[in-house]
Amino acid sequence: MQNFGSNNELDEKGHVLNEQPKIKVKFEPKPKPSKCPICTIEYYQQFFNIEQRDVYMRIRCSILSWKPEFHQCVGKNPDLWGPLWISTTIIFILFAGGNLSRFLLEEDKKHFKYEYNYMYVAVLIVYAMAFIIPIILGVIMKYILKSELGVFDIVCMYGYSLSAYIFVLILCIIPYNEAQWFFLMCGLANSTIFLLVNLWDFMKKNKQTVLIAIPIISFNVALILCFKFYFFRLIYAVDD
Amino acid sequence: MTDNQQVPFGSGMFQGQAKFVDYAHMNQQEVQVNTLDEPVTDTLLRDINMILYKLSYVIIPRMKETQGRKLRNWDLWGPLLLSLLLAMTLGINSNQSSDTIFGTIFIIMWGGSAVITVNAKLLGGQVSFFQSVCVLGYCVFPINIAAVLITFFQSYFGFFLRIIIVGVAFLWSTFSSLSFMSSMMNEEKKVISVYPIFLFYMFLSWFCIFI
Repeated sequence: MQNFGSNNELDEKGHVLNEQPKIKVKFEPKPKPSKCPICTIEYYQQFFNIEQRDVYMRIRCSILSWKPEFHQCVGKNPDLWGPLWISTTIIFILFAGGNLSRFLLEEDKKHFKYEYNYMYVAVLIVYAMAFIIPIILGVIMKYILKSELGVFDIVCMYGYSLSAYIFVLILCIIPYNEAQWFFLMCGLANSTIFLLVNLWDFMKKNKQTVLIAIPIISFNVALILCFKFYFFRLIYAVDD
Repeated sequence: MTDNQQVPFGSGMFQGQAKFVDYAHMNQQEVQVNTLDEPVTDTLLRDINMILYKLSYVIIPRMKETQGRKLRNWDLWGPLLLSLLLAMTLGINSNQSSDTIFGTIFIIMWGGSAVITVNAKLLGGQVSFFQSVCVLGYCVFPINIAAVLITFFQSYFGFFLRIIIVGVAFLWSTFSSLSFMSSMMNEEKKVISVYPIFLFYMFLSWFCIFI
């Protein structure tokens, strides 16, 4: 039998004699420095240090998009709550509202077929717009164009810029072509103006930085075209 | 809280000491029970009792935090059964591929619960991950009732009655989980931690209207 270096005496069968009282040592594991800090949940704790009045203020800044107040609202505290839940709300509205809009137009209401693909496409488009595109833009702006804004500042800004679409898309349930285009244009204008106004300080630096307006505008336009031609297309004939 | 180690379902697989939770008298006695030897019906009845006890909390939401404390003995069997029931009920009645619906409901329910819990934790809530997932899962019960009613009594319900039934179920679910979840959060963060729950139940309720 192996001797594990214990202080206890053993009899012939290996049972412990005169057992020594064990001293309880509280073992506190040291937090290991992770190789990938962004991969841990703790890293994201810093982006949820907000209260509900901060969220109201930021959404208000976004709706009143012509005032360049967003950076003052945010300060040094960009959050991820806004981008995450505003984009999730939009996904729900696209899914529910898109199907509701089709239901209102449908003549044969008893055999209405629910379109489940709306949800998967909505998740793809909206999360790409709220996270992937601003991360790419943020990285380009910070590391190539030497902006003072961090990547998460840009993500936060993009997330809140989508807040106007919540109201716009609810109104788009009304199944009239002209009404839908009108509301989508309002949403596009609000969202794009918000982004451009708040990035103006960065864009006016030199000719290179002005070019950042091009992808911003084109992605927003692409977004409303997706909304109109996929989720809220008006089908006057019943299709299978 | 960590002392309340619940004996897991299928506890016949685990030998040794187990804490016997006597729900009838609402206190815990430490009894050495070798759960391998007990009859299967005993194991099943104990777990079913536990599930029914928690469901009674959902049906009659208690606003006082002290009474909600019993819900902290979390288990995931209740939420699993409820999510399966909901997914199957909605799948039966649909005239489309029921496996898409089944998968969608399942993912929304479990993924949604996880995301809401992580959100609450990141906002600084003193909530354990599995407790929260357990409560959110159990509070889907009113939506389940609405789904079953709509599926099996479809011919009696017009469209507006459906909306009323689903609306009541949605408010009931949200209110049930509210009393547990909002007690975990600071006053200034209550709205932003409760809003995702509202969205989650609205998502699930929406499926009941159009199926």
